Amino acid sequence: MTTAVPLQVRDVTVRFAGLTALDQVNFTVDPGTVHAVIGPNGAGKSTCFNVLSGVYRATSGSVRFGAHELTGMPPHRIAGLGIARTFQNLALPPRATVADSLLLGRHRLTRTGFVAAGLRLPSAAREEARHRARVREIAAFVGLEDQLDRPAGSLPYGQQKLAELGRALCMEPELLLLDEPVAGMTADERRRTAAVIAGVRDSLGISIVLVEHDMGVVMRLADAVTVLDFGRRIAGGAPADVQNDPAVIRAYLGEDEPAHAEQDGEQDGEQDGEQHAQRDGEAAS
Amino acid sequence: MSDITDQNQNQKQKQKQNVPPLRAAAKTATRVPRPLTRPGGYGWVAGALLLLALPFYLDTFWLQAGLFAMAAAIGAIGLNLLTGSTGQLSMGHAFFLAVGAYGYTALAGDSEGRYTGLGLPTWLAALLAVVLTGLAGGLFSPIAGRLRGAYLGIATLALIVIGLHVIDNATDLTGGALGREVPALNLFGFGFDRSELLVAGVPFGSAEKLWYVGLALLLGCALFARGVLRGRPGRAMNAIRDHRIAAGVMGVPVARYRAAVFVLSSMYAGLAGVLLALVFQNVTPSQFGMVVSLQYLAMIVIGGLGSVGGAVVGAVFVSMLPQVLTRYSDALPLVATPGTGGVSPGEASAYLYGAAVVAVVLFLPGGLIRLVARRTTMSTSGEKR
Repeated sequence: MTTAVPLQVRDVTVRFAGLTALDQVNFTVDPGTVHAVIGPNGAGKSTCFNVLSGVYRATSGSVRFGAHELTGMPPHRIAGLGIARTFQNLALPPRATVADSLLLGRHRLTRTGFVAAGLRLPSAAREEARHRARVREIAAFVGLEDQLDRPAGSLPYGQQKLAELGRALCMEPELLLLDEPVAGMTADERRRTAAVIAGVRDSLGISIVLVEHDMGVVMRLADAVTVLDFGRRIAGGAPADVQNDPAVIRAYLGEDEPAHAEQDGEQDGEQDGEQHAQRDGEAAS
Repeated sequence: MSDITDQNQNQKQKQKQNVPPLRAAAKTATRVPRPLTRPGGYGWVAGALLLLALPFYLDTFWLQAGLFAMAAAIGAIGLNLLTGSTGQLSMGHAFFLAVGAYGYTALAGDSEGRYTGLGLPTWLAALLAVVLTGLAGGLFSPIAGRLRGAYLGIATLALIVIGLHVIDNATDLTGGALGREVPALNLFGFGFDRSELLVAGVPFGSAEKLWYVGLALLLGCALFARGVLRGRPGRAMNAIRDHRIAAGVMGVPVARYRAAVFVLSSMYAGLAGVLLALVFQNVTPSQFGMVVSLQYLAMIVIGGLGSVGGAVVGAVFVSMLPQVLTRYSDALPLVATPGTGGVSPGEASAYLYGAAVVAVVLFLPGGLIRLVARRTTMSTSGEKR
């Protein structure tokens, strides 16, 4: 927030034993913008997120956040730079209260260690009270202030997704990576979540990288779009340009070719897609 | 897009107006715990008084059993921090019990005859034994930080084997298979030995005096662990257990936390070992075998994974069961007095808590502590945990 820096992804390649999940991907996220990464299933979107957050190590290429090189950094150091992310599948412990989950987001901003917490030193109590107050503010921002004392697992799915977004916001990030934030939500929840995300960018000035299948949400929120297909960047630019790009239409709807060729191509594509999806699922779980 | 942001800003303004201090105050007021006005509060006070009064009424057998349970509870709290709260399995808990027990014995014991000892003041020896166990845990922590879950469990098996080997061979420190006598605790001139002291007409031997030491240690250990679990480290530990990748992405240094919890857990085991040595007044290798590690795992599973109360309940259950069966073996069907053939009390209790583990896993996930917790949440709604 204080020193807005761009995220630069340069020639990033990720290979898993012969399978190339990302192939020479380039894009830049400008400070204070929403950058959407879209593409069909198995295009490498989640792999891309896992590289950005340090869960996977890129085979080659570089990811720079301002002056920091992120490739090769462990996840907690990347988080320490102010990069937060949410997960495609919920990564929220179901029995912990929403407040406790959000407080986990404060981990990098707090210092209380084992001794201070065990002995309940006044410094630990003060820190806890201060950060609980901030958590309450952030919960109000995403609309969960009344759910703070409830176990996260007892909330409806949409609110759990919001709680995860809130937890990421609790890290006071400069860059927020959102992996399908509105997937599985009702139309009403989608609208509310989209409003929260727009608010994050406009009032907090946080840069956002967004992976999303809901094109309505992408077109409304994104300032720039990168389109991936089979691990390659096939298009990029403003949402309206990308929407009409022939390469994008081809990736989503298939080639305009004779019928038999199209079928073959699609079958192959689906199989590959499934493989990717399985991989992505493993990484997220 | 602009209408969305407008809408959001409106929403935010509304929310800001909706959070006046009034409502926040009303909310916290309902959540303030009133320990003595709710039924649970009287229960705690009565329980504490009962525990304090027990040495005046119970004979040495039961006091020893109770002290054994307290030591086990301290060890189980430590294991529960590691296994229940952080999701790291350890089969090597008995090794750290042994380091604590033998460490105290060697540090406090005198060099006489075939034994070596430093002859330190006993309170200092107890403290150093706990530190020593922490160091032993620290030596293993590079491994404990890198391995997760069941893999760590297998690696820690090695500790048991190494530990028993050292105990058998370093006979000048440990006494080998025969064991070594443990010097009695002496706190600032007050000896916790067999010399009897009359308190209100009741003769106080070592068990009676140690009882209060055990209670104080257990209380301290339980409060410390509870503070850890409810604070920032506890949240990080639970995050590592529930979703390792997410924990790292949230900024928790996973390997460092695993290593730190392993050290803390070993120090709890070390203190438990010191107390065990003081209670038995003799340390032998059979107290620290593989089975003991399994017993501690049984304690936390039966009592409840991840909670301090669960560890204490489970420890009392598992450690008192053989004592109860031994004492009443003549009155119980199917349990024979030791040495007469048939099912001995030790075996019977092993069957019983084996069955208890299965029953808890099947019917009471969350352990015995859930039964207690459910009752209190029913009587005082709104109180958490």
